[in-house]
Amino acid sequence: MKNLREISTRLEIAKKKIKPSLNKNKGTNAASLGNALKISTELVAAVLVGSLFGFILDSWFDTKPFMIICFFFVGVAAGIQNVIRSAKKMNKNIEN
Amino acid sequence: MSTNPMHQFEVYRVGPEINISGINLSFTNASFFMLISSLLILLMLFLGTKKKLLIPTKMQLMTEMSYTFVAKMINDTAGSNAKPFFPFIFTLFMFVLFCNMVGMLPYSFTVTSHIIVTFILASLVFVGVTIIGFIKHGIKYLELFVPKGVPVVLLPLIVIIEIISYLSRPVSLSVRLFANMMAGHTMLKVFGGFVISLGLLGGWLPLGFSVALIGLEILVAFLQAYVFAILTCIYLNDALNLHH
Repeated sequence: MKNLREISTRLEIAKKKIKPSLNKNKGTNAASLGNALKISTELVAAVLVGSLFGFILDSWFDTKPFMIICFFFVGVAAGIQNVIRSAKKMNKNIEN
Repeated sequence: MSTNPMHQFEVYRVGPEINISGINLSFTNASFFMLISSLLILLMLFLGTKKKLLIPTKMQLMTEMSYTFVAKMINDTAGSNAKPFFPFIFTLFMFVLFCNMVGMLPYSFTVTSHIIVTFILASLVFVGVTIIGFIKHGIKYLELFVPKGVPVVLLPLIVIIEIISYLSRPVSLSVRLFANMMAGHTMLKVFGGFVISLGLLGGWLPLGFSVALIGLEILVAFLQAYVFAILTCIYLNDALNLHH
């Protein structure tokens, strides 16, 4: 049990050495970097899926350029909505 | 020596050719490195949990930290409802992480830099989450596509937008992982090529860049695994709790 007590005192000394602000900052940095990487692809993916949707509908109904144009813009709208939604989620996380 | 930066992504057959009813099921270098990553995970978890000491060894500490990391992530993003899905998310996270990290070793192959691999992983998540949502809420799960407080005139458009945004989830999940891994590895190779072509005189600058980039790539490798897992948790949360 002597070993355990020694470990706990060493832990306490080590904990005191860590500055609280430094420790906190590190966690949020990684999370925000993850968010930054996340948000950029969300826009592109929705545009891609929308255009693909339009392309498939075009080849079904034989209305060559129209559906793909319409669904491109719908995809853009969906992408922007995705970005707004994740930005709102990020805001909520910061406030809490 | 190959100076083509895309050469590292080539998939080739290892061992005999296996053809089952016209489908090529041969063992490739991609399957080999997936196997290596899985075996490394198993080895780490096995060694880490063999001796359960009160004061952990480094191996045990690593295992316990990965467990608490994923458990905390699930608890924070998806709530306690998602506890039963811990094994799946832990497996997913560790697999992506180890595939990325094994890809950082010289002469190895990065499995996650192929979109088919990441897309299969992402569609697994997508289909699984959709099925869970329907099991949990029945037909009411479709309310996800009808946000509250929208005028009836706009409803058809909004529903289409919501459906596209829902379908874009696996695409964004897979493209993000694939693009990050592939771009990073290509960039490393290009800078490595600069070192060779500039020679002893000018090669030191790109060499320094390469060293810095490897550090960045290791960060990205970890971060992408983290993002993949955390987005799985967020989608799971949407399916389990059904409000946004």
